[in-house]
Amino acid sequence: MHMSTPAFITPEALGAPALAPEIAASVRPSAAWRRLVTHRSAVVGLAVMSIYAVAAIFGPIVFPFNPGQSHLIDVFLAPGQQGHLLGTDNLGRDELLLLIYGSRYTLSLGLMAVALGLVVGVPLGAISGYFGGWADIVIQRLTDILLAFPPIVLALGLIAGLGVGLRNVVIAVGLSSVPSFIRLVRADALRLRELPFVEAAVALGVPHWLILVRHVIPNALAPVIVQATLSMGFAILLAASLGFFGLGVQFPTPEWGQMLGEARNYIFSDPNLATIPGLAIFAAVLAFNLVGDGLRDALDPRLN
Amino acid sequence: MSKRFLALLSALLVLSACGGGGTGGGTKQGDKLTIAIGPDPDTLDPMRQTTTTIQNIVSMVVETFVFVDPDGKYKPLLATSWQTAADGMSWTFTLKSGVKFTDGTPFNAAAAKANFDRVLTAGNTCPLCGAFRGVQTIDAVDDTHLRLNLKQPIAPLLGLMTEVTFGFLSPLTIAKGTDAFKDQEKPVGTGPYLLTDRVKGDHVTLTRNDQYWGAKPSYKTQMFKIVPEAASREALVRAGQADVILLPPASDIPALQADKTLKVILAPGDRTIFLAFNQSAKGNPLLQKPEVRRALNYAVNKELIVKSVLFGAASPMDAPMASSLFGYCKTGGPYPYDVTKAKQMLADAGASNLSIKFIAPTGRYIQDFQAAQAIANDLTAAGVKVDGPKTSDWPTYLGTINVPPASSSVDLHLLGWAPGFLDASQAMTQFQSSQWPSAGLATSYYKNAEVDSLLAKANSESDPAARQADYCSASKLIWNDAPWIFLWVQRFPMVTTAKVTGVQAIPNESFYTVYASPA
Amino acid sequence: MITYVARRVLASVPTLWGVATVVFVMARLLPGDPARVIAGVLASPEDVERIRQSMGLDKPLLVQYGTFLGSLLRLNLGVSAHTNAPVVEEIGSRLPYTIELAVVALVLAVSGGLLAGVAAAIRRNTMLDLLISSFSVFGVSMPVYWLGLMMIIVFAIDFHLLPAAGADDPASILMPAVTLALFSLGLIARMTRSSMLEVLGQDYVRTARAKGAPFRSVVFRHALRNALLPIMTVIGLQFGALLGGAVVTETVFAWPGVGRLLIDSIFFRDYPVVQGLVLMFGTTFVVINLLVDLLYAYVDPRIHYT
Repeated sequence: MHMSTPAFITPEALGAPALAPEIAASVRPSAAWRRLVTHRSAVVGLAVMSIYAVAAIFGPIVFPFNPGQSHLIDVFLAPGQQGHLLGTDNLGRDELLLLIYGSRYTLSLGLMAVALGLVVGVPLGAISGYFGGWADIVIQRLTDILLAFPPIVLALGLIAGLGVGLRNVVIAVGLSSVPSFIRLVRADALRLRELPFVEAAVALGVPHWLILVRHVIPNALAPVIVQATLSMGFAILLAASLGFFGLGVQFPTPEWGQMLGEARNYIFSDPNLATIPGLAIFAAVLAFNLVGDGLRDALDPRLN
Repeated sequence: MSKRFLALLSALLVLSACGGGGTGGGTKQGDKLTIAIGPDPDTLDPMRQTTTTIQNIVSMVVETFVFVDPDGKYKPLLATSWQTAADGMSWTFTLKSGVKFTDGTPFNAAAAKANFDRVLTAGNTCPLCGAFRGVQTIDAVDDTHLRLNLKQPIAPLLGLMTEVTFGFLSPLTIAKGTDAFKDQEKPVGTGPYLLTDRVKGDHVTLTRNDQYWGAKPSYKTQMFKIVPEAASREALVRAGQADVILLPPASDIPALQADKTLKVILAPGDRTIFLAFNQSAKGNPLLQKPEVRRALNYAVNKELIVKSVLFGAASPMDAPMASSLFGYCKTGGPYPYDVTKAKQMLADAGASNLSIKFIAPTGRYIQDFQAAQAIANDLTAAGVKVDGPKTSDWPTYLGTINVPPASSSVDLHLLGWAPGFLDASQAMTQFQSSQWPSAGLATSYYKNAEVDSLLAKANSESDPAARQADYCSASKLIWNDAPWIFLWVQRFPMVTTAKVTGVQAIPNESFYTVYASPA
Repeated sequence: MITYVARRVLASVPTLWGVATVVFVMARLLPGDPARVIAGVLASPEDVERIRQSMGLDKPLLVQYGTFLGSLLRLNLGVSAHTNAPVVEEIGSRLPYTIELAVVALVLAVSGGLLAGVAAAIRRNTMLDLLISSFSVFGVSMPVYWLGLMMIIVFAIDFHLLPAAGADDPASILMPAVTLALFSLGLIARMTRSSMLEVLGQDYVRTARAKGAPFRSVVFRHALRNALLPIMTVIGLQFGALLGGAVVTETVFAWPGVGRLLIDSIFFRDYPVVQGLVLMFGTTFVVINLLVDLLYAYVDPRIHYT
């Protein structure tokens, strides 16, 4: 049976399986970690991710100012003027401050969306692959249906129905990441249930849910981690798109996508207002993609 | 970068060198005028149209009895003269003879009657019909005389006759009845242009009517490109890909004015921008005191905000309506900016710790939210505790303010109001107590019995001089009561390239490009 | 083969039905009263009731569902709340523009992606490989709207090379198509590279080279042909993804397609059009999927005997 591949996962992630026990030694955490840190681009990605994480978590504590404080005298200042490191926007608000406060929204949107995808997708995939039969058919059908909509169309349709705001963006974006996790975990579950140690466990009378939790899911984790990282990048892009249209976090609360959307009208007065949040989004997504690639190579060296 | 992309790019360099910028190219007579507008027409049927800019376009194809010129004066168009009966219960219009629709049908009283009948037919959507529904019957007295018999005197009837809602479509296209919407999407009129092309979401093209009864336009075609983003419109005019654009981003107005290849027109408009106080019983009781409201009027520095936040694209109000409206009279000058006086007045009224909830729309009017921020700062400087300004999208915003008094939830909201034709009657509905939501749109819940009776009188008065006097008295009372913080009258910014001349504007936020020509 | 086609087509039917059901459920998720929203803020209670009855919103949910499916089969998607024209007409007048944009973008993405991927695979671990791989990963990380805005600034404003907005000028398709193609180009390049690498490592390729076959012929006749199969799947699905990407691109470049219609309709609260569009996107994707699978079966000799 031919399965459709979600547009944004790469076939390597799809094909990167948990390895059979005899090769498992090479993916012991220490070996994998060593490979990861020698992967240059992944290290760069990790560095960027850490900077963002620090900025998002500690930034507002270090700079406890109100980012919404506008000074209409000081609009469109260039970076460096009057102590504003990155300049000011059309309301005179400090860009750097907006960037730091906005990072909380943009990054947490991505995080929560992927978390939602994991929480829903991993168990469904495990059940689907492990039990087969009707559960499998139903879950696969539902996945096919979800995959029938381009992610942004699905997200827009949900927002149109549910309304704007942070919570609905998380739901909309999270829902788009569910199918890839289902497919990934299902593939592993299918393979794992044939393995002797699982058959033995069943024969010993170990309940199925315990087998799922303690054996199936942990062994499917490697590709899931890779996919989660890559999905983070895509989730940030999608969430920022919704913000760009003004359908996410509402003005004047800062969020990078929404800042970029606002900046459209000030392209002539101050192109920085578009460049800065755009760069921020780009760098974040790039970082997640680089780390994801690195993780994939580290956890499965065969495919390099 | 991929070789493919570079190859495409160089191919394009060659192409564009041959192709040119995209507009007509400035021949003697003028080939094509390109105008970039924001809204996409939802309908081209004049009866159902409510967006001023789209009505603007349709009025180049479909004509009315009366025309408003760039000075705001009423001039005869398809009607050469008109008379009211002594009791005001009927109006007779003398029609211009020898005029034909572009499909060959003659324009006469029967055609005019057919159009008015359509507009009044129950079940037809006519959002701007308004006071016209006071017409009882219509008689085509002869080929060139049409009489409207009224249920009661309609004072602003002449103003209504300037609206394209009451323009004349060829009877052939409306004969089929109310289901023939498709035909009205291609309006056929008597005007200087006809509609030749429309791509939904992209453009509307008009071509010159060479059989036009009046002076023929210079440009053979006028194309209206639909470009929702203000900055994209500005990009088009800067690149020479549009000759005229409406409503550039306000913050770019100074830079555009400095550009010698462009001309910025800050046309006078009729849109009043104001802050409405919630004067219902559910609102803050302090706001029920006129002294408090007047004090807050002194607290806002309107001149500075117009200059630095709106970049000159407005004029501070000096009456409850725009000066271009019939019925306007100066009521004694804008409330000057005086923070000390404001604080004193607030203290005297026992409102020194006034606290208000403030909302404003975003992107609906020129610099609306930015202005609201500046106003909030001014109010705070006068000692008021301001919660906000908060904002939301337009439908939600409307839903918050257009509620019956018992459901009102904010103390102060920013709003703009532009009547469809240049008459005080529509503008003054904001001050009539019978027009509180949900019956109407008087969202400040203002009530003054004397104002109510003056306005009722003016709305049915046939004598223009008496109407003027009534509106003037009402205005003075309203100005003193200060149901609003009177802000400014928005201008209508347009930008043209220096290659085009003769682009005018009518003071109801309309452009007038019919007689534009290459410079 | 015929049985495979028939089976595959039949297998799509439940998915299509599922798509329609999901759209129906999404539309009913509306907070508040849909009739009131469609009637508009200024409508009277009688108007709202009239609309409610004319749209059948007062009937029980199952009846509405049945009516909904019935009208779908007759290709009746209702009437736009904003313009009163049939939804099918609103979508139909704009769809050609989106298809044009998606096709051009697909051609750019496929040709660029294949070339880049093959080049990177052949010159593996060299500077070229690094450049191409970086470009690919940039491509899938770039916010489309940002790139679009930058391109408008450079090409339309600074250098007067290309039209800044709209679709009436033939050159105006270039910037939106390139912007749209970027994400897919990156993805296809990455896919092609790894697929090619896998194939190039196979025994039969080494045999061919050992036999003295010229490298170029090996690459194109053997390796690429076999690597093409999984790539084809991705390409087919990328078309669907491009339709989605068009939503943002069309907004930035004022391109009059269905993507922009979707955004505008959401802001106008024109729910019939939003519903129709989501349905259209979902159905298109399923149909494309089906066609790709059939094409795959046609090309891959192993499936003939299934």
